[in-house]
Amino acid sequence: MKSKNRPLLLLFMLAGSLTLCLSASAQQGMPSDPQLLRTYNASREISAVGTVVKYDTASTVPPMGAHVTLQTAAGQVDVHLGNAKLLEANHLTLNAGDNVRIIGEPMAFGEGTYFAARIVQKGTQAVAVRNAKGFPLTTASTLTKAQREALRGVR
Amino acid sequence: MNRFLTAAVAAASLWGAACSSHGSTIAPPPPAGKYSNASLNGTYAFMTSGEVLPTNATSAVPMVRVGSFVADGSGHITGGVEDVNAAGTVSNAAAITGGSYSIASDGRGTLSLTVVSSVFNSTVNFAITLTSTADGLMIDETTTGQVSTGSGNFMLQNPSLFATTAVSGNYIFDFSGLDSAGAPASIVGRFSTTSGSITGGIDDQNDNGTLTPTGTVLTGSFTSDPQNANTLAGSGRGLVTINGEIFAFYIVDATRVRLISVASSGGAAADMLTGDAVLQASVPASPSGSFAFLVAGSDLNARNGLIRVGRFDVSGSTVGKILLDVNDAGNEIEHTTFTSSTPSVNYDTTTGRGVVSFSASTLLQYSFVFYLSSSTSGVIQDVSPSDTSPVSQVADGSIAAQTGGPFTSSNITGPYAMNWSGLVTSGGQFANTDEEDLLAQETSTSLNLTGTYDLFQFTGLSLGTNLGSTGSINFNGGDGSGGDGKSPTMNVNLSNASAIHMVVYFVNPQLAFFANRDNNGASRIVAGILKAQQ
Repeated sequence: MKSKNRPLLLLFMLAGSLTLCLSASAQQGMPSDPQLLRTYNASREISAVGTVVKYDTASTVPPMGAHVTLQTAAGQVDVHLGNAKLLEANHLTLNAGDNVRIIGEPMAFGEGTYFAARIVQKGTQAVAVRNAKGFPLTTASTLTKAQREALRGVR
Repeated sequence: MNRFLTAAVAAASLWGAACSSHGSTIAPPPPAGKYSNASLNGTYAFMTSGEVLPTNATSAVPMVRVGSFVADGSGHITGGVEDVNAAGTVSNAAAITGGSYSIASDGRGTLSLTVVSSVFNSTVNFAITLTSTADGLMIDETTTGQVSTGSGNFMLQNPSLFATTAVSGNYIFDFSGLDSAGAPASIVGRFSTTSGSITGGIDDQNDNGTLTPTGTVLTGSFTSDPQNANTLAGSGRGLVTINGEIFAFYIVDATRVRLISVASSGGAAADMLTGDAVLQASVPASPSGSFAFLVAGSDLNARNGLIRVGRFDVSGSTVGKILLDVNDAGNEIEHTTFTSSTPSVNYDTTTGRGVVSFSASTLLQYSFVFYLSSSTSGVIQDVSPSDTSPVSQVADGSIAAQTGGPFTSSNITGPYAMNWSGLVTSGGQFANTDEEDLLAQETSTSLNLTGTYDLFQFTGLSLGTNLGSTGSINFNGGDGSGGDGKSPTMNVNLSNASAIHMVVYFVNPQLAFFANRDNNGASRIVAGILKAQQ
């Protein structure tokens, strides 16, 4: 997963415009069948760039978890970030007015959709919040070997 | 039963609005009932599933434990053993060398186990509520050293059957938790044993959304643990390899074995799976009548909790009178109408495996694989929308025949143990979502509830004990008669908190499945059971 992320991170650092970017390939890849939105597909990823309007570490808007509202050139976008503790653990804080870039894509949720972030970038810092298959990461899923070994003391 | 695959937590979050200044303080009723310390007497197998924040750690991880303790009927724990799996890191056969417990007349109590191993000595604490002298519900309330929570239960073992040969016949099983990579996983199925040797079987696996239906259960054997051979005679504990995963098992009796994954046979990282295997004395005939079910697990896309609770009638291959309530990542949906052309059930009378499918709309299609251990109970796995990979959820649970209806104030009466587990969103300085476990004893009088509860919310690492609660059950939903067992409005009032609104499906007057039906007071994804005290 790391090797796949590195080119994207380099791309973020080169990019500068604060617009909602829907690449041509992404638009062409947008499925007409909503069932396809149940599976994360990297070929459909979108780069959303904008200014943080609101950041909720625990939003009341489903899916439960952290949400950020971005003001983009195309309007406001609500983005699901997963568990706020992952961002906190990576020392990435989001505040109103921050300029951020988010890589992700719409996913099915009930009879509607939501925008699922995979990577959140603020300045030069980028944090992956989902893996390449779109499954949200947790601090537990990124334990080091030493951290795992320490769990042997658990009763 | 409810194994939410929750994200890890940080220790620094603050107690917040999940149980804040709404509502009033409710005085707990004086304990009344027939229980005492003498009610807990014998060897009991226990299992919990939850989270742990290890000593000096900043992040919590999922954790399961299965073990056995011996209670002397006088408030003392005299021995036992447990196996713990924290996100795949296993602590094997830790000895329980002592401890204590106390049971009030209402069946509520505390249980402390002194756990000793070569690595770590500690005390783990639980709240318990007896449902009989043979079983009860429990939540982990450990706050010294490690901080851990989790929900589970315990049941009386039969030490005269502590031998591998006692595991003989066909068993229906449900293992759920995490795979070796930390992704959600569920395996339901059936294996056949002859005097402890697994001779084959079939299973349905959902590993992180990839389904493997009707797989083959590889052969293996229930054996004594060579490193801890004495645990077989003392606690009914041993090791068994199932499909390449090594489980520690605990024999309850000839009809039930409890299992926890402890290693991979190839030396790779262990899964974190737990579950029971229940004897299928004979393959039940095709299901007929009314069934209620509850599945809980993860929405993989949003990595949130997912609950589906409902009921249906089945006659032959026809399914009708379907009711379903869904809490998907905090989005609650009540389904009462389904497309007429698609409901169906397919059942294999040679194994007890079936698939039930129905649709609420073109997008909202539901499908569940189930294995019946008897004509009235079994395990169920969510394979929605159509039993085809990939799926966006991993969830499993219980299915049970509905009997004893209609459900009214006449038969839903008396004392119940109540447990729920799941996710709650807190308020406060760093609002976050994390595990919540509640254990209560409630008495139903004219469908009004009064009781006492303990609540552990990992959002703020906040434990409340011996708090008062009230509530009510209203059978005005479903078909309006109570005959379908659904109560769309079981309200639970906790002390100093907004009312929590549940939807309830009664299996019979002694057992009900429930889940929260909205986010009143705080966003939640919790599911639980009401179980009558005998």
